[in-house]
Amino acid sequence: MEFKNDSFRHVYWNPYFGGLLLGLLIAATFYVTGRGVGATGGTKATVVTAVNTLAPEYAGNQDFYSKYVDEDKNPMENWLVFETLGIIIGAFLSGSIKGRVSLRVQHSPKITSRTRLIFALAGGLLFGVGSQFARGCTSGAALSGSTVLSLAGFITMIGIFGTAYLFAYLFRKLWI
Amino acid sequence: MGPLTFNDIISTEWNYVIALLIGLAFGYILEASGFSSSRKLVGVFYGYDFVVIRVFITSVSVAMITLLYLDYLGFLDFSMLYVLPTYLPAQILGSVIMGLGFLMGGFCPGTSLTALAIGKIDGIIFTVGIWLGIFGFSEAYPYIEDFNNSGYMGNVTLMDYFGVNPYTFAFGFAVFAIVAFTVSSYVRRNVKEIQY
Amino acid sequence: MQKRYIFLAVLFLIMASGLLFLPDMKQKTQIPATSFLNDIHSNNRYLSSDELAKRIIEDDPMLFIVDVRTEAEYDIYSLPGAINIPLENLLLEDWAGYLDQDIQDVIFYSDDDVSSEQAWALCKQLGYKNLYVLDGGLNHWFNTIMLPKKPGELNSSAAYDLYSFRTGASIYFGSGSTAVKSATEKPKAKKTLTVKKKTKRVAEGGC
Repeated sequence: MEFKNDSFRHVYWNPYFGGLLLGLLIAATFYVTGRGVGATGGTKATVVTAVNTLAPEYAGNQDFYSKYVDEDKNPMENWLVFETLGIIIGAFLSGSIKGRVSLRVQHSPKITSRTRLIFALAGGLLFGVGSQFARGCTSGAALSGSTVLSLAGFITMIGIFGTAYLFAYLFRKLWI
Repeated sequence: MGPLTFNDIISTEWNYVIALLIGLAFGYILEASGFSSSRKLVGVFYGYDFVVIRVFITSVSVAMITLLYLDYLGFLDFSMLYVLPTYLPAQILGSVIMGLGFLMGGFCPGTSLTALAIGKIDGIIFTVGIWLGIFGFSEAYPYIEDFNNSGYMGNVTLMDYFGVNPYTFAFGFAVFAIVAFTVSSYVRRNVKEIQY
Repeated sequence: MQKRYIFLAVLFLIMASGLLFLPDMKQKTQIPATSFLNDIHSNNRYLSSDELAKRIIEDDPMLFIVDVRTEAEYDIYSLPGAINIPLENLLLEDWAGYLDQDIQDVIFYSDDDVSSEQAWALCKQLGYKNLYVLDGGLNHWFNTIMLPKKPGELNSSAAYDLYSFRTGASIYFGSGSTAVKSATEKPKAKKTLTVKKKTKRVAEGGC
């Protein structure tokens, strides 16, 4: 683990403890709302809203957007949007308590900042597309889906981690 | 008797407040466990940091066991929980794409939000990437719609498909978890130390 | 490996294995005994044959009539619109969707009211709602609706009204024991109403 001058900066929780809390949280989420968490739903709502605001006619007729664009219902009024907001706030709280908040690019010393950002963008693009196909990302599908023993959840989880392990060697220059 | 909002024990106006609170806790836990650091996340694929497996599998296992106990004790109706629908080819393709995205970007959507929150520019760019990716997908939707909706099997659970007993599976998963942790700490000790 | 982790791992496995050894669960929650006793005493589950006749004639959509006798008996004669669920099949999963709902009124009948009472008690105990029993069963039905007794001259006009209603009803239902096949349109398992345990899954889920 990395220790900077102020030694508390990058001391994280014990992962098992974090996993325990997270597991209890997911269980509580299911207990209270009957659904799991999700991370891309909020972004999707933003996309729909943006397109709807700029080109409402088009949005109303296009196959994808029309499902989410309703006469009187704002697509941003979505459970996931609020949850996404919560994630950002919660993470900010945690980071600021530990003094981890600052604007920076984290990258391996063997590549440049620029390379890192390009690949981040590429990774994001892939995730955006992939999550739509899979109806979920790691949080929504793999995490919440597997908790209720859904077939799709496990398929997604195995797919993501399996693929990543398979191709990890190709991208090793980025990280190690 | 849960799920609470579903059975109107908690009214639906609270839904969004609850969403916010849940997100809050989720983000906090993720960030505090170190998921806002992309190099920490990718460590699971290179053997120098297994935090992803440890948190992920622990949480799935704990949540599964908790929910099954709650269901048994009558506090919850397990069959009313949302089960992710299965679209076999689309999901396989999607997860492969996501796996590559994980390697390249070093984040997943949830963790990129935590990175965004603490000011990491690569997290911000990643989230922008997700935005563009969804946008691209939706623009191309009319062409891929058929593939996207193919292989629909309904909201299938493992019990439906393989006929396993959920309790047996949960126990098996817990055993798998312990094995995974043991193996991972063994690997961790034998991989050269990386400073990140 | 630290001792602490081994301890935690063992604890975790014990918790997980607890699931394996759970005794077979109490299927559904049952209603408390006291309220059940109250329901037994209250008698408001009884539906008189006149009332049932009237509702059938009026084609009341809220009716769900259940014949709890055997299939053979059902085939000989049954009330119009009734479905045959023999008493021993009452708890089968297939019928739960029809019996456990609060939209229609479920009315049990049998030859007398012993079996129908048992059916009522069974379903009431499981917490089903809107359960009724045909008072006196088919035997009483025959004596009142099918073969109504003409009241003597000293009876009130109300009794005469009732008698004329019953004669009308008996014509509607066909006369007497046999020859009723025409009137009964036994909709064996009207699969339309598959409310099926409210699997109205929460709208969205994944992300």
